[in-house]
Amino acid sequence: MTANAGYHAYATGDVLTAAQVQYNLQNQTVMYFASSAARTTALSGVLVEGMVSYIPANGLEYYNGSAWVVVAADQTPLTTKGDLFTYSTTDARLAIGTNGQTLVANSGATTGNAWQDPVQQNPVLNSAFQVWQRGTSISVAASSTGYTADRWYTATNANQACTISRQATGDTTNLPNIQYCMRFQRNSGQTGTGQLTIAQSFESVNAIPFAGKTVILSFYARAGANYSPTSSALLPIIYTGTGTDQNALSGYTGNVTNYTSVTLTTTWQRFTYSITVPITATEIAPAFGMNPTGTAGTNDYYEVTGVQLEVGSVATPFHTFSATIQGELSAAQRYYMRLSSAGASANYGLGYAYSTTSVANQLRNPVTMRITPTTLDYSNIELTIVGVSNYAITGLAIDAGTSGPDYVTLLATGASGLTANRPYSLKNTAATGFIGLSAEL
Amino acid sequence: MENTRELFIEMPNGERQTHIIIDHGNEQFTSMPKATYDEQQAHLTESVTKAK
Repeated sequence: MTANAGYHAYATGDVLTAAQVQYNLQNQTVMYFASSAARTTALSGVLVEGMVSYIPANGLEYYNGSAWVVVAADQTPLTTKGDLFTYSTTDARLAIGTNGQTLVANSGATTGNAWQDPVQQNPVLNSAFQVWQRGTSISVAASSTGYTADRWYTATNANQACTISRQATGDTTNLPNIQYCMRFQRNSGQTGTGQLTIAQSFESVNAIPFAGKTVILSFYARAGANYSPTSSALLPIIYTGTGTDQNALSGYTGNVTNYTSVTLTTTWQRFTYSITVPITATEIAPAFGMNPTGTAGTNDYYEVTGVQLEVGSVATPFHTFSATIQGELSAAQRYYMRLSSAGASANYGLGYAYSTTSVANQLRNPVTMRITPTTLDYSNIELTIVGVSNYAITGLAIDAGTSGPDYVTLLATGASGLTANRPYSLKNTAATGFIGLSAEL
Repeated sequence: MENTRELFIEMPNGERQTHIIIDHGNEQFTSMPKATYDEQQAHLTESVTKAK
């Protein structure tokens, strides 16, 4: 049988031939048949490729030269309300997500897209290492623990004196304009090879929303020129626990240590690490581990910044918890606040002598702290009657019994020459003086 | 070099508190109730490698 003739342009006055009617018109219309059997009978001996028919039970079909092919039904992989028509190596179906989820690009997914919970607040405080109330370079002795950058707590082992410091990232190409990072350095000449860990332990109230969820930790990191761990490895860690408001490095009840290994270079890279948090988890702490080898060289360090934890399996662009430095500082002050001044005469508040050697001073905290602070650090502090006389002290402590999350009573002791019931102020003896209140985990 | 000493504070109501003063050797000090200090010391030995 002659093939169908395709498109034909007719001129005025043309007389249609039987062939034109057959091959330009009839064979290329949509023919209606009651059933497949009726079509077979009607088109017996005249079938040609390109014929189109409609049969109620089959829908629209075309003849491909050897068989009738359904037009509509095989063109879509969709099966369920809300499915998305997408593509992998062939047409593919992306099943509808759960209520409230949004679609994100995900190169690791089969179709290049994935459903994910909406972007949330980043609960990692001081995630871009902007707040260093304790100083921008913290020395941590071997076999000790301590807070460094605000909210970040570290533990060292024998022969592992370290320095944790704020550094400029100095890179606007591989980082999304993050000004600062934390440098974790094993001091030159140190020989200890136990794991050095630094962690941020969340309060339980901030950890519980992650229970049972898939979470992803993302961060930027790079290595110093003498970074000593084998294969330049850095361990991103996510501790989970089942206690309440504990410090991960002091030991979580029901601790689960999740970790992986990434390979650092001296160039900033973004890394991600995803886990499913146990449904029973009430504590969570993102952390980093470094396993040094040999004797530390001059640059046995790594740097990290842009630390983000979120629900989902895809890391969204980095953002800090609060978006402003004031917000980050206030959030950090819930756990620790340092009162200081550049001036040697900074005056922290007025109190009264309740004996000839001791003074009680009450300070109003600028933000409500997590709990009543009980640990105090201070430097270069004395008592004074302004403009009259100064009085050295031998001790300064918090009176927990008359303090709260919003205020503290400081007891200055060991002075001599005080007059009971006379007002005295706490002040600096030097510009480096400070008073620090801790309500850390 | 860190040194610690006990600080006994007698309150106006006669109550006596015991604090620990840690001298960090750089004109910086940390003070805390003795009970808090003792608890921290107990945890110190636990603050070691966990992920390895």
